[in-house]
Amino acid sequence: MLMDFARLGWMRWLLCATAGACTLFLLAPLVLLIALSFDSSPWLQFPPPGWTLQWYAQVFHDPDWLASFITSLEVGSCVTVLSVLLGLLCGFAITRGQFRGREILRGFFLTPMILPSIVLGIALYSAFLWLHIAGSFAGFVIAHLVLALPFSVVAITGALEQTDKSLEDAAMLCGAGLWEARVRVILPAIRHGLFGAALFSFLTSWDEVVVAIFMASPTLQTLPVRMLGELRQDLSPDIAVVSSLLVLATALLMGLAALFQKESAR
Amino acid sequence: MADAIAVKGVRAAQAAPPPPAPRRLRNGFAPAVPGLAFLLLCFMLPVLALLLRSLTQPQWGLQNYAALLATSTYANVLFNTFAVAGLVTGISALLGLPLAWFLAVAPRFWSQLVFGIVILSMWTNLLARTYAWMVLLQDTGIINNFLIWTGIIQNPLPLFGTMAGVVIGMVYIMLPFMVLSLRGPLAALDASLFQAASLCGASRVQAFTQVFLPLLAPGLAAGGLIIFVMSLGYYITPSLLGGAQDMMLAELIAQLVQTLLNWGLAGAASFLLLVLTLSLYAVQIRYFSPRRGKEG
Amino acid sequence: MRRVLGLGVLMALGTALSAHAQNSMVFTSWGGTTQDAQKKDWAVPFTAKTGIAVVQDGPTDYGKFKAMVQSGNVSWDVVDVEYDFAVRAAQDGLLTPLTLTPAETASIDPRFLTPDAAGSFYYSFVIGYRTNAFHGAQPKTLQDLFDIKKFPGKRCFYKWSAAGVLEAALLADGVAPDKLYPLDLNRAFRKLDTIKKDIVWWGTGAQSQQLLASGQAPIGLVWNGRVQALEQEGAPVAMSWDQNLTTGDMLVIPKGAPDTAAAQKFIAFATSAGPQAQFATDTGYAPINKGSLPLLDKAAYAALPDAHAATHIDLNMQYWAAHRDEIAARWYAWQTQ
Repeated sequence: MLMDFARLGWMRWLLCATAGACTLFLLAPLVLLIALSFDSSPWLQFPPPGWTLQWYAQVFHDPDWLASFITSLEVGSCVTVLSVLLGLLCGFAITRGQFRGREILRGFFLTPMILPSIVLGIALYSAFLWLHIAGSFAGFVIAHLVLALPFSVVAITGALEQTDKSLEDAAMLCGAGLWEARVRVILPAIRHGLFGAALFSFLTSWDEVVVAIFMASPTLQTLPVRMLGELRQDLSPDIAVVSSLLVLATALLMGLAALFQKESAR
Repeated sequence: MADAIAVKGVRAAQAAPPPPAPRRLRNGFAPAVPGLAFLLLCFMLPVLALLLRSLTQPQWGLQNYAALLATSTYANVLFNTFAVAGLVTGISALLGLPLAWFLAVAPRFWSQLVFGIVILSMWTNLLARTYAWMVLLQDTGIINNFLIWTGIIQNPLPLFGTMAGVVIGMVYIMLPFMVLSLRGPLAALDASLFQAASLCGASRVQAFTQVFLPLLAPGLAAGGLIIFVMSLGYYITPSLLGGAQDMMLAELIAQLVQTLLNWGLAGAASFLLLVLTLSLYAVQIRYFSPRRGKEG
Repeated sequence: MRRVLGLGVLMALGTALSAHAQNSMVFTSWGGTTQDAQKKDWAVPFTAKTGIAVVQDGPTDYGKFKAMVQSGNVSWDVVDVEYDFAVRAAQDGLLTPLTLTPAETASIDPRFLTPDAAGSFYYSFVIGYRTNAFHGAQPKTLQDLFDIKKFPGKRCFYKWSAAGVLEAALLADGVAPDKLYPLDLNRAFRKLDTIKKDIVWWGTGAQSQQLLASGQAPIGLVWNGRVQALEQEGAPVAMSWDQNLTTGDMLVIPKGAPDTAAAQKFIAFATSAGPQAQFATDTGYAPINKGSLPLLDKAAYAALPDAHAATHIDLNMQYWAAHRDEIAARWYAWQTQ
């Protein structure tokens, strides 16, 4: 009854109302940002005194935005792949291991989240200076991987806890090796968790600015680093433009994905 | 294929007596090694080196810890930090559960659309989102103007520069994390469970509180943990939307590190935060963990 | 992983080589239009004149600065920093002393020159207000800024512990400008207490502009260039220069900078009359070279703090550098009460 939309009864209305309100809440700032990107006033005023395309022209004429977009994408992708891989391995150890102190291990993997990122930034930067990898791509990836790994571990561990361990055992009874069983039986079963882990990892890197400032160099500026510089100095609508473009691109991608799914479902 | 193996396996497992424990790696610790080594080398070591400065700068001793406790600043800021993190976690759970539930049961079109919006909001740059909230929350902002226009309120609500503003802005950022954490558990829920509950005469409310919630508890706990811990270290949203009275710890530490260059004091402040959070975590595991007792 | 690391190491080497190939130096500033102007008015002509390429980096981060110098692995040659950081950093031994010629030294406003730092530009804290917010008399003095009866509404102040707000509170309370230092902190906080619930804090210059432009704070203590930019965009704002508090940004060379010789040349060039005048015209920040003023056209001059020199009060950065930690402890304790 609770998992059947048609049979929710009065709960259905409550559910739809809450979901609707949440959706509005999530949508409002996005709509506003898109509106602000056409705002003729550079001070993010709403309602805008007039409409303009000049900020778009400004962003398109500045090759640095594209360069930092690509840098962000590169760092984020490397971080995502490594984070999901390491997180998956850790998740197996934490949920399937038989050793003492598994909870301590789980807690340990969370510590990078607790520590204010400014402290991590300065600590890693000092270490990287000493290792002579400050300002390098590898340094950037390492720093963001430290931040992303906890998300991946939490998401994957949670998903693994939901799947029954006997699935693995059963697969192994049927002759699969331990890791074959894990890859072929468990991975599909925890796909939501893996998706969450990948998304969290990527976004951690994509949106991170505090540590990124320490890792940045003239040739290695991610989008948030550039945006922070812009925002601190001039509240320029460039940032609204860049965000609107990203929203648009994401919406397009998701629309395409949905379309493909439909096609293949037919 | 995978499903086929699984199904066959389950049947076999049901038919056969409990098998001798399958051959597995000694005690299953090995897979954790790469992650553990990475964190030890690239996180623990550098951070410990920095935290040590809280004991050595400007000279050996506990002077930094004494300085922290000498004024009410640290206690106030710590209280703000935990209060905001708690509120944000609670509200995200309250909103995230129905939203994720809606996604799991709603007609395909609506569920995809709403899920798309959730993902879109996550994709938008954090700084940009926070600036949007600044424009929304101000006394002369859209929300207050709208409420005054409708006549619900006469004077603007104090949303900007207050803890309320910080919480709203942070819930906005955290809500998708809760939704994503609950998606897996919700997908794994077996609809027939509720048919059974209904056959047994359970009302919707009973089914919700006695079957639905307990099954989602691990997902809620995982999402809540992520959100709470993330909120503790948050910095940009509170500094743009909050007032000085609602300062959070990460802001104070950022000032110590970047402007005052007092790394000893910053180390002490971070160390206390770490210890406090980890002990809370230990208490949570000891007394509230749903996993406790499930396995050795 | 190994491949990524390998790639990274290669890139690191590449970066190091490209940034510090022959005849190249790194200039670090705060980003945005300010740095764009610094690039256009200082770096480009400097390269044309000397053949030394200038790589732009940023934003300036003091934590990064300190970590670099302490490790001895410095990648910045010239850095734009705030005045009190420059004084403090010199005390902590983080800077390379400047080697300006006597003629160059003589041409720079002595308020913005120390043995280790030369001014980048200077600006004033002024009273910015919305022209449509108050009926009748418009705010003029610091007393008005602290008078919530005559000028009701939120007022915005700089959030962090730094020179400016405490001085304004003392001046509003009747302290004579020449008796400001040492700061009477108790008195300053008592004065601030009278308006505490009406304060909204700004953390960045851009934020102060947003607060004024949106009307969230109809009045506030803000940087002159920020109000001027708002005025130019047509926002209904104005400023009062009464008892404006001046301070500046400084150019410094970190200790152990990779190319100190180029850095010294760059600072000498950037602080000279021509580049300073050009920068002031482009940004509205005041030049620190005494020879720049005659080079400016009338309109540009009128917008600069120099046109209001009679009502200047200089913030004492030596005092701030010496007392920064104790003031910060008081400041944050008061703010979070």
